[in-house]
Amino acid sequence: MSQRFPVRVTVNGALHEREVEPRLLLSDFLRHDLELAGTHVGCEHGVCGACTVLLDGRAVRSCLVFAVQADGAEVTTVEALAGPDDELHPLQAAFHEAHGLQCGFCTPGFLMTLIPFLAENPDPDEDTIRRAISGNLCRCTGYHNIVKAVRAAADRMGAAAHEPAEEDVRVGG
Amino acid sequence: MRLEGEFTFHAPREAVWEALLDPAVIAQAIPGAERLDRVDEDRYEGTMKVGVGPVSGRYELRVRIEEKEPPERYSMRIDGKGALGHASGTAEVELADEDGGTRMTYVSDLAIGGRIAGVGQRMLDTVARSMTQRGLESLEREIERRTSGS
Amino acid sequence: MSGDDRADGGARSVGRDVPRNEDRLLLTGRALFVDDVEPTGTLHAAFVRSDWAHGRLRGVDVTAARAHPGVVAAWTAEDLGDYWAPGPLLVSPPPIERLEFHARTQVPLAKDKVRHVGEPIAVVIAESRYLAEDAAALVEVDVDPLPAVVDLEAGLEPGAPLVHDDLESNLSARVVQERGDWEAARAQADLLLARRLRYDRGAAAAIENRGIVAEWDARAGEMTIWDTTQAPIPIRNGLARMLGLSEGRVRVVAPFIGGGFGPKIMMFYPEEVVIPWAAMTLGRPVKWIEDRRENFFATTQERLQIHDAEIALSADGRILGVKDRFLHDVGAYDPYGLTVPINSQCTLLGPYDVPAYHSEFLAVFTNKTIVSPVRGAGRQHGVFVMERLLDLAARELGIDRVEIRRRNFLPPDAFPHDNNVIYQDFAPLVYDSGNYRPALEKAVERIGWKEWRRPEMRRGEGGRRRGIGIVNYVEGTGIGPYEGARVTVETGGRVRVVTGVGTQGQGHFTSFAQIAADALGVDPADVDVVTGDTREFHWGTGTFASRSMVVAGNAVHAAASKVREKAVERAAAELGVEEEAIELADGRAFVRGEPACGIGLGELAVKANPLRGAVRGGSEPGLEASGYFGPERGATASGVHACVVEVDTETMDVEIVRYLVVHDCGRIVNPAIVEGQIQGGVAMGIGNAFYEMLVHDESGQLLNASFMDYLLPTADVVPRIETAHFETPSPLNPLGVKGVGEAGAIPVAAAFAQALEDALAPIAPGLEIREIPLKPSRLWELVEAARARAGGEAP
Repeated sequence: MSQRFPVRVTVNGALHEREVEPRLLLSDFLRHDLELAGTHVGCEHGVCGACTVLLDGRAVRSCLVFAVQADGAEVTTVEALAGPDDELHPLQAAFHEAHGLQCGFCTPGFLMTLIPFLAENPDPDEDTIRRAISGNLCRCTGYHNIVKAVRAAADRMGAAAHEPAEEDVRVGG
Repeated sequence: MRLEGEFTFHAPREAVWEALLDPAVIAQAIPGAERLDRVDEDRYEGTMKVGVGPVSGRYELRVRIEEKEPPERYSMRIDGKGALGHASGTAEVELADEDGGTRMTYVSDLAIGGRIAGVGQRMLDTVARSMTQRGLESLEREIERRTSGS
Repeated sequence: MSGDDRADGGARSVGRDVPRNEDRLLLTGRALFVDDVEPTGTLHAAFVRSDWAHGRLRGVDVTAARAHPGVVAAWTAEDLGDYWAPGPLLVSPPPIERLEFHARTQVPLAKDKVRHVGEPIAVVIAESRYLAEDAAALVEVDVDPLPAVVDLEAGLEPGAPLVHDDLESNLSARVVQERGDWEAARAQADLLLARRLRYDRGAAAAIENRGIVAEWDARAGEMTIWDTTQAPIPIRNGLARMLGLSEGRVRVVAPFIGGGFGPKIMMFYPEEVVIPWAAMTLGRPVKWIEDRRENFFATTQERLQIHDAEIALSADGRILGVKDRFLHDVGAYDPYGLTVPINSQCTLLGPYDVPAYHSEFLAVFTNKTIVSPVRGAGRQHGVFVMERLLDLAARELGIDRVEIRRRNFLPPDAFPHDNNVIYQDFAPLVYDSGNYRPALEKAVERIGWKEWRRPEMRRGEGGRRRGIGIVNYVEGTGIGPYEGARVTVETGGRVRVVTGVGTQGQGHFTSFAQIAADALGVDPADVDVVTGDTREFHWGTGTFASRSMVVAGNAVHAAASKVREKAVERAAAELGVEEEAIELADGRAFVRGEPACGIGLGELAVKANPLRGAVRGGSEPGLEASGYFGPERGATASGVHACVVEVDTETMDVEIVRYLVVHDCGRIVNPAIVEGQIQGGVAMGIGNAFYEMLVHDESGQLLNASFMDYLLPTADVVPRIETAHFETPSPLNPLGVKGVGEAGAIPVAAAFAQALEDALAPIAPGLEIREIPLKPSRLWELVEAARARAGGEAP
């Protein structure tokens, strides 16, 4: 297992080149090789969704992707959401205001699942939101405040989208 | 895990009996079997590779034939062990003539442990059943090949 | 200290939905969790665990593992030498007469025998986790399997295989508690109703698995341990003893913890014992992070109890007495003592007047993972039994389910009410306060009890059936012994609150900040709360039993009140007025009525730490104080849960249409956080009721050890949870608070079972739900059986 392969990945806008074992998971690559520890690992088998990141703009479970599979791709993690002055992304701000997190361990996965969801569903109803996050496990909140936060974020982002020259949601690949 | 069933071979009982105890035949018939050696009259050892859902691995297999009553019935003591778990238990096989062929009845009861039990359980029955079916079908082909070739 | 000093501090933030201070770090991915700690040169550990539930350990061969590239060490129990010892008994048995208890605690690595699947046998330490796992797979374990103890009744039969060979049986404990005269109650009864009720095992399943990182600084002689524990201080004290270090040389940090729910307070997990020793022995940092599969076997669990319960009632539905005998599954070891079954035993009484109570439990060793408290900690079992008995009795007596509860409530003038049984905190179970009837009536009104009784309301689309359930519970919260806190006004004007309890998402960084903020007249956002680092504070026990707000919250209040006194005293001196004239607000001390005449708290802190002159004798420098709080006994929270379910009678899929919680957790510090605790607790209760069950086969193998097969409730099945609050302040602490962390989870199964029976009564007359968890297939079997008994009519 000592054979290594070169990987070139753009993560949060920065290009990283590393040599990795083919079996190295993208989640471990991000967390340990690149020290982006905001991506959390909860089950290592693709069920809990805590490790969700964007791979070329699509939400994927980084525990089910090998680092070598991300070669040439763009990866976006939770660390990229807040603005340059540490200004929270509207989705993050909505989670904060709606008490949409408790221990916060699953939260990065929810956020990264919701970024492309809101891009495709700018005005989702409650059922749609619940379905969208039904693949992410949260053991603390009972989900209700997360649903509230998503709805509030949609309102906020929708309002922002009507303003001219608004940055496009910073992430999304 | 309990498995039971019937299978009809289009071959005489003696031929089936012989094939069932021939390691070369069995090794060919068991899906994933990589090796099966007869270490003495009634003991076999080998390795097989099995994938059950997300749990795929190599197992060391030991089989001891007990209570042999040729060409009617025998029972087996089976012990399998690998990094991903273990299986142990017994199986009983009975043969009877049926319309010029041979009907085999089998019952096995295996205690499964380790990763294969905890993570693969949902698929275990299905995988075992499908492996058994595939094994018996290829055994049938092998017996046919032998009987027609001899 | 008195409770009325709220007046002068002004309850500016307590009682308000203050957004949480901790959120920013968590939302941006910068919060430090244990798995994010990786000192330079860290080695990684993987444990070799038993694949067998029960067996003699004939031999463990680590030769091949040691030879594997990148491996630094591979150890078995023998290699630990004198360090190897069974763990401590965490909770000794309470002072109950004729109690029988056999302590058998877990070991760091199995020696001679393995007692449950997942028990650690060897540890491999390598340059990476990948290499450690490769090598762990090369460890040869020779086990002679033994028959496993899985079933509780079979486990107590003579001749059963013994989990612990040196005991005569698998009995871990036997406890009898009684009040009143059950036999007399029985003789008087118009109705006697006896049932067997079963409540099976579940996993806490925090999304963060456990983990531990240990770093030994040989030159300083200091050990630092990052641990996913709910109780860093006891961990520090215990590990110092084990490692032969003084307590001050061991620092345990519980940083952000990704959910606790109970199992993270178990002490000491084998990994917690082995990893620090490995770091010391190898002279390099060592890290172990549990994976999800390990979590299913190696992290403690809760639940299986089998109750044979009997209730005696008068014809008008008054409870005359209850008798209960139950078996409790402790798993392979019992380090947590009797906490869980005693909670079940005591919580069964609920808000009701039960003149006679006879309760006996037998705790049984089994070849399964250790049982320790998980959110609710056995209380849900007691509630389930009592509420089920009342439901079935109401049916027999032809009394409305709500009415039978009304008739049996303790009246509001009954408090304090002594239940004459000993609770888990070793004190008599005395309810400090409560007023049950208004909460029930509010729930009846809010859920629309009367409307739901109408036949047309009970039919959903496509032959679906609806039913309603309503249950009560009482929860002893906020037990001792004590917690402490230190509050400091820093020279920049920010306030620092340090406490020993760990935090796992409960919002302590905000609610403790609110308490300190109100005492000192600052904004909660200007209060930095530090928890779970023994270098910062080393007195206290931990976060469990819905106690942090009660015990640590009041300690923060005590410390902040002392700092307030210091600030007022110094400000009065500086401003040349009487102390009574000083007001604290907006981060300043000023003369009441003359806001311009004042001084900033930060400036006061500077003056309290002078570079010249002298600090007066008897006084202390700085604006800082420590405070402690130890409640005389637990604060009694209570509530009502009501739910409406809709059942698909073809598939037995159940949808929870409405869920209402009316509860009383005393004074509320942060309503949003309290709501969040309730919502999350109910979600967990829903999981326990209908989605989650740990399934073991007869050889003790856990058959669903992954999130693919063990189902946590998801956003599409957890309903919106409605809440209503009553605030009956606890008289037992200055803040008047009660605990709330577990309340949501406790009565869910009881409400769910009642609603299901109600929904299915028309198609399955006589259906009784006597077990939890359920699942559609099991519900279908129960319905079929009821229909067969009733003569089998098509729905």
